[in-house]
Amino acid sequence: MSPVEHHIHGRAYWQSLEQLAESDEVRQQVEREFPDLASEGASRRDFLKLMAASMTLAGLTLTGCRRWPEQRVVPYAARPEGRAPGAPERYATQMEVAGVAKPLLVTSYDGRPIKVEGNPEHPASGGAADAHAQASVLQLYDPDRSRRPVERDGERTRYQHWANFERFAGEHFAAHRETGGRGLAVLAEASASPSLLDMRRRFQKAYPEARWHTYEPLLDHNAIAGARRSFGRPVRRHWHLDKATVVAAFDVDLLGAHPNAARHARAWAARRRQADKGEMNRLYAVESNYTVTGAAADHRHVARHGSVAELLGALAAELGVVEAASSEPTPEWVKVLARDLRAHRGDALVAVGAAQPPQAHALADAVNDAIGAAGGPVTYTDEPLAGDPGLVELAGRMRAGEVDTLVILGGNPVYDAPADAGFGEALDKVGTTIHLGLYRDETARRCRWHLPRAHYMEAWGDARSWDGAAGIAQPLIQPLFDGRSPIELLALLTGDEKRDGEQIVRRSWQRWLPASDFEAAWRRVVHDGIAPETRLAPVSVEASPVSAPASDGNGEHFDLLFMPDPGVFDGRFANLGWLQETPNPMTTVTWDNPALLAKRDADALGVSTGEMVTIEHGGRSLDIPVYIMPGQAPGTIGLTVGYGRGEEAGRIAAGTGFDTYRLRTGDAPWAATGARLRKAGGSYALAMTQNHHLIDTHGYETRQERAAHLVHETTLDHYREDPHFVDRHEGGGHEKTISLPLWDDPESLDSGAGYKWGMAIDLNSCIGCNACVVACQAENNVPVVGKSEVLNSREMQWLRIDRYFRGDRDDESPAAVHQPVPCMHCENAPCEQVCPVAATVHDTEGLNVMIYNRCIGVRYCSNNCPYKVRRFNFMDYHSRSPGETHRPWLGIPDTEQRKEVIELKRMHLNPEVTVRMRGVMEKCTYCTQRINAAKFQAKEEHAKGERETERVRDGEVTPACAQACPTEAIVFGDLNDPESRVRKLHNNHRTYGLLDAHLDTKPRTKYLAKIRNPAGGGENGHGGDAHGEKGHA
Amino acid sequence: MSTANHPLGVEPGDNTSDDPTGRAPLVLGGHDLGSVTDRVADLAERRRMPRAWWITLGVSAALMLVLFATVGYLVLTGVGVWGNNIPVAWGFPIINFVFWIGIGHAGTLISAILFLFHQRWRTSINRFAEAMTIFAVVCAGLFPAIHVGRPWLAYWLFPYPNQMGMWPQMRSPLLWDVFAVSTYGTVSLLFWYLGMIPDLATFRDRAKTRLGQFAYGLLSLGWLGSARHWLRFEKAYLLLAAIATPLVLSVHSVVSFDFAVAQLPGWHTTIFPPYFVAGAIFGGFAMVVTLAVPARQLFGLKELITLRHLENMNKFILATGLMVSYAYGIEFFIAWYSGSGFEQYAFINRALGPLGWAFWVMIVCNVVAPQFFWSHWIRTTPIAMFIVVMFVNVGMWFERFVIIVGSLSRDFLPSSWHIFVPTWVDLAMLAGSFGLFLFLFCLFCRYLPVVAISEVKAVMPQAEPHHHGHEKGGES
Repeated sequence: MSPVEHHIHGRAYWQSLEQLAESDEVRQQVEREFPDLASEGASRRDFLKLMAASMTLAGLTLTGCRRWPEQRVVPYAARPEGRAPGAPERYATQMEVAGVAKPLLVTSYDGRPIKVEGNPEHPASGGAADAHAQASVLQLYDPDRSRRPVERDGERTRYQHWANFERFAGEHFAAHRETGGRGLAVLAEASASPSLLDMRRRFQKAYPEARWHTYEPLLDHNAIAGARRSFGRPVRRHWHLDKATVVAAFDVDLLGAHPNAARHARAWAARRRQADKGEMNRLYAVESNYTVTGAAADHRHVARHGSVAELLGALAAELGVVEAASSEPTPEWVKVLARDLRAHRGDALVAVGAAQPPQAHALADAVNDAIGAAGGPVTYTDEPLAGDPGLVELAGRMRAGEVDTLVILGGNPVYDAPADAGFGEALDKVGTTIHLGLYRDETARRCRWHLPRAHYMEAWGDARSWDGAAGIAQPLIQPLFDGRSPIELLALLTGDEKRDGEQIVRRSWQRWLPASDFEAAWRRVVHDGIAPETRLAPVSVEASPVSAPASDGNGEHFDLLFMPDPGVFDGRFANLGWLQETPNPMTTVTWDNPALLAKRDADALGVSTGEMVTIEHGGRSLDIPVYIMPGQAPGTIGLTVGYGRGEEAGRIAAGTGFDTYRLRTGDAPWAATGARLRKAGGSYALAMTQNHHLIDTHGYETRQERAAHLVHETTLDHYREDPHFVDRHEGGGHEKTISLPLWDDPESLDSGAGYKWGMAIDLNSCIGCNACVVACQAENNVPVVGKSEVLNSREMQWLRIDRYFRGDRDDESPAAVHQPVPCMHCENAPCEQVCPVAATVHDTEGLNVMIYNRCIGVRYCSNNCPYKVRRFNFMDYHSRSPGETHRPWLGIPDTEQRKEVIELKRMHLNPEVTVRMRGVMEKCTYCTQRINAAKFQAKEEHAKGERETERVRDGEVTPACAQACPTEAIVFGDLNDPESRVRKLHNNHRTYGLLDAHLDTKPRTKYLAKIRNPAGGGENGHGGDAHGEKGHA
Repeated sequence: MSTANHPLGVEPGDNTSDDPTGRAPLVLGGHDLGSVTDRVADLAERRRMPRAWWITLGVSAALMLVLFATVGYLVLTGVGVWGNNIPVAWGFPIINFVFWIGIGHAGTLISAILFLFHQRWRTSINRFAEAMTIFAVVCAGLFPAIHVGRPWLAYWLFPYPNQMGMWPQMRSPLLWDVFAVSTYGTVSLLFWYLGMIPDLATFRDRAKTRLGQFAYGLLSLGWLGSARHWLRFEKAYLLLAAIATPLVLSVHSVVSFDFAVAQLPGWHTTIFPPYFVAGAIFGGFAMVVTLAVPARQLFGLKELITLRHLENMNKFILATGLMVSYAYGIEFFIAWYSGSGFEQYAFINRALGPLGWAFWVMIVCNVVAPQFFWSHWIRTTPIAMFIVVMFVNVGMWFERFVIIVGSLSRDFLPSSWHIFVPTWVDLAMLAGSFGLFLFLFCLFCRYLPVVAISEVKAVMPQAEPHHHGHEKGGES
C-alpha cells in the first residue's frame, strides 16, 4: 500500500459525507479496502474490479437519470400529457466532430438514449447519420470512460472531486487573473460552436494575455491556405452535387471521409437515380488510394499522390486557365475531362481534397471560375474554423518555458500531435496542466489534472454544420460520470456567473433569438435542432490567377498518405466496438489499419497481405502489416490514423492496429514524400471479412465470374438501348426462368389484402459507406465479437456490405462495387424447410422470422442459406468482452444472461429487440419491431378517427438501414400497395433477385443494377482508359 | 469331408482356400462344443487380463475423460470453442457423427442381412460387430446432442407433448435423422442383447463369484435353455433380423438426406443415399477388421475368428470400396453434366481448392488402398490387412470432411467464402470419441461373450445330426 499524501487541510467539522471521505481515517480505511485505488500501477484485472465496484455505485446514481436537468424534474404524480412510460421519444441534438456538426435525432427510452439517427429536418443530414454518429451512443455508455477527476502529483495519482478541483482552480486562476493570464494557454479542438466562441471571448477578456491554440489532427488546413491564396481570405467551398452534372474529384473522398459527405452523397445519388430517365451525372475521381468515391465514380484514375496536383494543372492548362507546366503530352483522359467540363459549363465542378497542397486548391478555384461553377455548383462562405495558432507553435512556447498553465479542452494531443512537435515532452515542462476529456487517455495521464468531460448527449452545447447553420445540442441524459462540457469548464475557469451549460448556451443565443419572444424561439431551435437564420451567407469571391504546379519529380521513394480511418476516425472512436468491427469499405479489414500498398510495389518488395514492412520517413520508422490494395497507386502508401494505442485507450482499443501518427509531421500532416519501405519480416493476422488476393486461381476466377451475375452493371448508353439487360443476363438469354415449385407458391396464397413487405436496394446509389451496417447493429442489439472471432468469420452484423473488384488480378485500376446484403426474406426460403424445431418460419406478411427462444442452434438453416446472411451466437457475445469470449461461465445461460451483462452495457440495448443468448441463430428481421410499432400507431390513429384505414402508409416503416442510408439506396415498404416506392422499384427494369434465377428462392429483397455513365459511353469506362496513367508516370 | 481334404500347399489350420470340392471349416483348432465355451468364457473368468488390454483400457479411459472434459467446457462456454464458423456451420461434430454412424453399419449388416441370407460364417464375428455397432452409435449419438447451440434443449428434437404446443418441423432432414438414428440405436441394442441371452446364461452358470452370478443372472432373464425358450428365441431373433435389415439401408440414407436435401453445391446430389450406405458398410467392415485383428490375437480367438472370416470381410471392403469409388467418379461426371456453374465449381474446388489435400487423402485411402485386397496374400495376412483397413478408417473420416467442410467453405456468394480450421477442442473430441469407443469395447471384451457361443456351435460339425464325434472342429 502506497502512502497517500494528505493534501486536504485538516478540518474540524465535516459538512457532507464526501468531505468526510477525504479525512485521513476514512481514506486509510478505503486504502486498506482498495489498496490499488491509490496507485497508478493498477493491473487490468484490478482495473476491472474497480470498474465493477464503481458500477455498483453508478447503478445507485443512474436510477436518477432522466432527460431533463434536475432542476426541472417533478415527479410524475400525474403523467404529463403525451408522455407514455416505455414509449420512445426523439430529440434533436448535435454531435461536433472536428469542428463540424452532425445534426442528429436521438431516440430515448425512459430517459435512456439508445439510437442515433440523422435529423431529417436538417439539410446537412436529411435523416442520415454516419457510422460515427450511430456509434456515439456506445461512447456514452462506454465503461472505460473517465469517471472522476484525477489529480496527478509526480508519479502518484488519485481520484478527486470536482469540488477540490474548483477550489484548486479558484486559487490558481486568481493568480493568473492578476497577471492578466500571462503564461496561460488553452489548447482546444477545432470548434465552430457559438457558445464556445462566446466563452472563449469571455476567457480572453478575463485573461487578456492568455493564448488560445487550436489543434485538430484532421483539419483541412490546405484548403484554407488555398483559399487565402485564391481569395485573400479563408473561405469554405461548398460543393453542390445536386447542381453538377459533371463532378471531378481530385483526391477528395467526397462521399466518404469529407465532413459534408452525407449531404454530398444524398445529392449525388439523387442525380444518379435519374438513370431510369436516361440521364445521369458523371463522376470522375483521381486518387491514389481507393476510396468509396473512387468506387462510385464513372471514371477512376489512379495517380501517385504527388502527381495529382500536376494532373489538375494539366486539366487547368487544357482549359486554358494556366500555362502548361510541362512539355509532356496531356493524358487522354484529362482531355476528355476538360471537354466534358467545358460542355457542362455552369453544370460542373472540380473538387480537391485535404491532402492536396494549397496550390491545388487554388488551381481548382480558378478552374471552377473558368467553367462557370462559382455561384452555381460551387459556392463560398466564410470559413468558421480558420485562424488560430496551432499546436506546433504551442509546443515551441511550452519548450521555451512561456507556458506555465495549459488547459487542454478535449482532444488527445499526446497521442495524435505531429511526431516532430514533441508535445508530450513539452507538456512535462508546463507547471499546471489541466485536461478535459472523455477518457483518461495518453494526454490525461501526463497532465496534472484530468477532468471527465460530458458526452455530447449529456451536456448542452451548440455547433455549426458544414453549411454554417448553427443548432443547439440538448442533453438526453444527466452526466453518467459527473462530466462537464468545455463551456462549463471555461465558465468555471473564468468565474462566470453562469455555470450551467444550458444557461451559457441560452446567453450566447440571445444574439440570434429575439429577446421579445426568446422562450418560444429557443424551444423551436432546440426542437428542430437547427436555426436556419444562422446559416452563413454566401460570399462572392473571385479566384486570383495561379500557375500550374511543377512536377514533383516522381522520386523513387514512396509518398505517404494519411487518412482518417472510416472506423475510429482520428482515434477518438477507438474504443467503440461497433466501429472497430465495421469492415473498412474497401479493404474489409476490421480492428486494424494496415498500410495499403499497390500490388506492383508489394511484388517488388516481395511481401503479401499480412506481412510486416518497415516504413521509414524523416528519421522515424514504423513496422506495420501490408494490405495489397487493388487500385492503389504504385508509389503511394495509404495509411489511416487513429490506431496503435495502449491500455489507456480503453479495453476495446488497446492493442489494435498501428500508430501511424508516429510518421506524421507538422509540416506534412496529410501527405509526405520521400518515405522508404523495406520488408520487416514476420506476419500479422488481419481480420478481413472478405479477402481479395488471398485465394487460389480457380477460386479467384470463379469469384470474378460470379460477381458479374451477383452485381449487374452496365453503362448508361447500353441501358438506354436495352432496358431489359438484367433479365437477359440473368436468364442466360431467356427473359424468364421457369419456376417448378414443389408446393404452392406462397405468393399465390396472398390475397393482396394484407401486407407484403419488401425491400429494394439500388446498387446505383449505394456507395458502401457502412452507415447502414452500424445503424443495424445499433437498432438490433447486435453484439461485437472481437478480432479473434472475426478472424474465424463469426462477425455478427446482420447486414454486410459485399465488395467486389472487377478486372483481372494484375489490373492496377479495377472497378469496385458494393452490395449490401441483408436477409433476402425469400418467399421460398431454404432455411425454413430444414429447421428441425420450426424456429424459423414465414409469417403472413412474408417475413422470414426467427424465433430465438425456439432455436436450439443446429445451424442447418445457415448451411442451407445461399446468401449466408444468418449469424450464429457461437459464444455469449453480449456478456463477454471481445477477447474473452472463450471463458466458461457457471450458471444457466437461458435465464441468467442478465446477471452477466454489466449494467452500463445494458443501457444502450434497444428494449424493443430481444438480446440473443449464445447458441441461437439470428438474422435481419426487416426491423420487425419498427413494422409493429407502425402498425400499432396506425391502428391507434384509426381508432381515434385520425386516419381512414388501419393500413400503414408507404414510408411509415423505415428499417434502421434504410433510415441511415445517406443515398436513399435502401427502400422498404409494402409490395401490396400499388403506390409504394418499393413496389415501383421492384417493377423497375433494373431489378433482379440475387441468385433467384438459379435457386428460385423468390427473394423479397431485390437489387437494382448499377449503371455507370462513362464519357463517350464506353463499355468499360471505369478505369478502362486509365491504363495510360498508372502512378509512376 | 474332412481336414485331410485340404488341397496341397495349404497347411492344416488354414481355411482360406476356395476349394470347390468342399466347404472350408469355420472353426479351427480341433475344438469341440465344450472347448468353444471354455475359450470364450475364459475371457470373462480369467483373473489376469493381458498387459495390452490394460494399456488399451488405460489409454482409452484417459481419452474418454478428455472427451467428457471438453464436453463440459463446451457446455459451459458455447459451441464457439470449435472451429465452426459462418459459412462452415457444421464442422467436426457432424463429421464425427456421420463417421461413427457409418461404422455401425457393418454390425447390423453382419447380424441381420447375413443372417437372413444364411451366411454361416457370420456367427464368429456377429457379436463382436454388433457390440461395435452399439458403441459406435453411442459415439455418434453424442455429437448431434452436444453439437446444438443450446445442448440442454436438444430434447426439443423429439416429438413429445409439451406445454408449448409445438411439434418438431417434419420437413427437416435433421428430424428424420433423429428418428432414423434413435430407431437404429434401439433395434441394434435389442438385437445385440437378445442374441446374447443364451450366452449370458452360460456365463451365469459358470460364474464363480456372487457378483457374477447375480449380474449375469439378471441379464440372462431366466434363460433355461429349454426347447420352448429356444423356439421363442429363434423366432424373436428372426423377427428382429427382419426389422433390422431395412435399417441397414435406411439409416445412412437418411443421414445422407441431411446433405442431399440441402441445396448446397456438393451436397445436393441424388446419388447420396446409395453412396452413403456403401460407404458406411465399407467403413464399418474396416472397423470390424481393425478391432478383430488385434482382438483375436490378444484373446486367443484365432480359431474362432479365422482368417477366412477376415478374408470374407476384406472382400466386402473391396466390393464396397469399388462402389464408393464409382460414386466419387459419378459425382464429378454429374457436376459436369449438370451444366450448373455452382455445381461444377464445387467439384473443381473439392479437388483443387484449398482443401484439395483432404480430397486426395480420401482418394488414396478409399480408392487406392482397398485395391490391395485383390491380392489373396494381403487379404489373408493380418498385419497387411490391418494396414489397409487403417487407411480406409482414415479415408472414411476424410470423406465426410471433404463433403461437409469442403462444400460449406465455398458456396454461392464468394463474399462469404471462408476456410475452416479446427481448434484443439475439435481434435480432442475426435480423439476422445475413439477413447469412449475403445473403452466400451475393452469392457465388452472383458465381461461379455465376445463370440456368440451358441451360434458358433450351430455351425460346427458337431451340430450336424450325422456327426458321430470322430472328427473335431470340422465343418460339413
